[in-house]
Amino acid sequence: MTHLEIEHLASDYLEGQLDAAARAQMEKHLDACEECRGLMGSLREALDLCHTAEALEPPPWMVPNILRATIGESRPAFSERLQAFLRPVFQLRVAYTVAMAVFSISILINASGLNVRKLRLSDLNPGTWFYRANQAGHLLAARAERFYYDLRVVYEIESRLSQLRPSNARKPASEPARPAGGASDKGVARDSQMAWIGTSKIDRLAASARKP
Amino acid sequence: MEQDHELVKQCLTGDNLAWENLLHLHSRKIYNLCYRFTGRREDADDLTQEVFIKIFQTLKSFDPAQGSFSTWLNRVARNHLVDHYRRTKKDRVTSSLEETSVRIEEKPARGEHPIERLEHRERHEALQAALEHLSPELREAVILRDLQDLDYAEIAQVLSVPQGTVKSRINRGRLELARLIKRMDE
Ligand SMILES: [Zn+2]
Repeated sequence: MTHLEIEHLASDYLEGQLDAAARAQMEKHLDACEECRGLMGSLREALDLCHTAEALEPPPWMVPNILRATIGESRPAFSERLQAFLRPVFQLRVAYTVAMAVFSISILINASGLNVRKLRLSDLNPGTWFYRANQAGHLLAARAERFYYDLRVVYEIESRLSQLRPSNARKPASEPARPAGGASDKGVARDSQMAWIGTSKIDRLAASARKP
Repeated sequence: MEQDHELVKQCLTGDNLAWENLLHLHSRKIYNLCYRFTGRREDADDLTQEVFIKIFQTLKSFDPAQGSFSTWLNRVARNHLVDHYRRTKKDRVTSSLEETSVRIEEKPARGEHPIERLEHRERHEALQAALEHLSPELREAVILRDLQDLDYAEIAQVLSVPQGTVKSRINRGRLELARLIKRMDE
């Protein structure tokens, strides 16, 4: 076998594609020829480099860019998704719930003896929270719960009263603000029903809250 | 492969999510093909996007009977790379191999054995530099086989040449690549 023949068969040799006879001939040449041995060594090294080369990650904007250029849209960016998520918050009823949650948390913080003005990093540790909440015990939970139901009951009574009133009666001043558009009394009644799921549930809630 | 065909079918009915899935499945491979061929990330960024826009526009012409979606995608990408190569030939300043090896040898050489002379990262830089010194014909063959892991039959379909031609190009490309890396190593 010549040097040139060795070169022609190099890949077949490395991939194990040669039959026994050709392989033996090739190895005989390689044993005797330093130059071809060196070449095979470099070839092995180059292939090893190729096989260990790491694939690159395309930039994160690649797919969104292609989507925009092809179907004219892309998955909304984080800020857009956040906006969509927060949109219902600005509706009155949800705002009420959120306000309630903020209220409850502030009571929780107060009851657990945390001073927000002197808040330290360690206070944000959930471990600290559990410890303090435990200290305050069931009293805290009961207080927060009662406060929540009290508020609920007040709202219940108010909305039921407004339902019971003659349809042409003037709206009481204490009635909570309604979103614009729900101005008719029929709309008001439906609105307050929707607010608290169903009347039977309201009754149950009110009854349970009335218990000492 | 079945999954690809299903997704293509859904794309053709106007299913945008299917198109997005196809992109997520294949953009990394095409990005790496473009990077290996050009050696520049900025080029790979542009070319990958162009390839997929082309794919989207010609999706109707994809025929599963002629081969897999992946093969078709690779063929479109490869043709686009060759076009790009021809288009930019004039304004491309190819650094000589000597410049490349000087750049790499400026870093301190360690160890006595030639294999240890270049650190792992430097060796992979040398691989990329050597690839760029191959003729495009040999370069694409080696990239598709040894970096993108396609088999000979698939490469023959991508390049639209007989399998024997593919084998000989890969062998010649590998030998040249080995000699180039060895020269940088010396
Ligand atoms: Zn020899």
